Amino acid sequence: MAERPGVYLRLAAAGLRAHARRPAYLAVRTAAAAVLVVVEVAGVALLLDRFGSVGGWRPAEVLLLFGLAFAAQGLALVAGNSLEADKVSELVRRGTFDQVLTRPASPLGWVVASYVDVRFLGRAAAGAGAVVWAADRAGVDWTPGRAGLAALAVACAAAVVFGILMAAAGATFVTVQGSEAVNVLVYGGLYLSSYPMQIYGSALRFLFLWVVPVGLAIYVPALGVLGRQGPPGLPGWLVWLTAPVAAAFLAAGGLAWRTGVRHYVGTGS
Amino acid sequence: MRSYLALLGAGFRRQTTYRLALAAGLVTNAFFGVVRTAVFFALYRERDQVAGLDVTDALTYVWVLEGIFAVVWAPWVWEMAEAIRSGEFLVELLRPGDPYLRLLAFDLGRTTSVLVTRTLPTLVVAGLVLDLRLPATLGGLAWLTASLVLAAVVSFQFRFLFGSAAFWTPDYRSMFMLLFPVLWLASGFVIPVGFFPAGLRALVDWSPLIPLLMAPVRVATGGPAALAVAGQAAWILVLWLAGRLVLAAAGRRLVVHGG
Repeated sequence: MAERPGVYLRLAAAGLRAHARRPAYLAVRTAAAAVLVVVEVAGVALLLDRFGSVGGWRPAEVLLLFGLAFAAQGLALVAGNSLEADKVSELVRRGTFDQVLTRPASPLGWVVASYVDVRFLGRAAAGAGAVVWAADRAGVDWTPGRAGLAALAVACAAAVVFGILMAAAGATFVTVQGSEAVNVLVYGGLYLSSYPMQIYGSALRFLFLWVVPVGLAIYVPALGVLGRQGPPGLPGWLVWLTAPVAAAFLAAGGLAWRTGVRHYVGTGS
Repeated sequence: MRSYLALLGAGFRRQTTYRLALAAGLVTNAFFGVVRTAVFFALYRERDQVAGLDVTDALTYVWVLEGIFAVVWAPWVWEMAEAIRSGEFLVELLRPGDPYLRLLAFDLGRTTSVLVTRTLPTLVVAGLVLDLRLPATLGGLAWLTASLVLAAVVSFQFRFLFGSAAFWTPDYRSMFMLLFPVLWLASGFVIPVGFFPAGLRALVDWSPLIPLLMAPVRVATGGPAALAVAGQAAWILVLWLAGRLVLAAAGRRLVVHGG
């Protein structure tokens, strides 16, 4: 298989040029992706300010989690939007994927690079903006270490989300029909991780810390950014596990994608 | 009348056919409902009442929201716009009877199916597991049912207006995408409208977004049911007039284009 990254860069650049041909359209969509973050964060800020705290966390500290989760979501969807179940379902049903398999490139690389969606940079930027705003309100004293932790949270959570999308796409090669249930892991997992993990029951906590580690990726580094002690059972050194666990999950997602592609049989003529 | 009822039945059957999608949808609603429930339990741990709402009100809001989600944000929102763009919609204007009522009947058939297969089980299970403030009398249940059905009608009227944008622009999705975050917040899908600051709340209370979610929530939690339902009916009338005007204008536009 082609090991030259240049091919994928050229594919992505072609997609970008196509988007850039309609700048107004691109601007509206990018703005819309960002406005959603602003509105959601504003709504949650209104709610939390009414109550004053949740699970012992101040509103600004919770909003920092929201910002990290949205930044990770935006980043993951720039590359992974084409792996959403309905889009893979379309690739399979139209027979487009037959052509992808005949190309001298890795199918995953081709699908991801051809449909890079820069609109979601709007969501990532708005999420990063929310992190900065919330950190300011929470009185975070930015050091290079803390900035690194915030970046680690975003990168790892994005990797986990991308892993989920790869696994779900792999499953779609077998089932053909995409399923809304993937949303539970992608959007549900990120939504859940936007609140401090100690408010959930042990089953939910275990699932999103260790099985689908999006909670681990956001919550544990965020403890370091905010200078907080974790609850019992979540010692601070877990932050060293964040990157390896996220990488392992990403690899498992890649394996699921490959298994799905091996079972791909096309949908007819 | 008979033909509209037949369309309603057809819409109902169409939506009920997809069992796997239904199961996936129920799982999604249950998951988000559980997370939102955990959040409100944590929020209310040290407080009894906030902005006049207690934890039972908040949880009832959560599960009515999850129950009605697939009615308000129905996945077929772009079907009409796609039909307009491809030209198929012309057939709708040629068929006998009134196009607006025909589309409403078919859409209402589909949303009624969602109400029966998603809203009802979600509310029943949540009501059995948690302490919710759902009506216990036959009269109260009748009001809630009426309010949910009216919410479905209003959601169709919004879908119709957004779909009609395709008469004027091929990029009909952009307007919706820019408006969506505002609708999402103002209709109460992020947080209950009761937690908004007073000024914003007053503004939202007089908007056609209240009938979508907050009116059924108010009926469910024992608010003034007749007032909430009357408000929904009033907005249905306004949106109906708006829909008719749009359809009339669009019809002239199609003629100008030569069909």
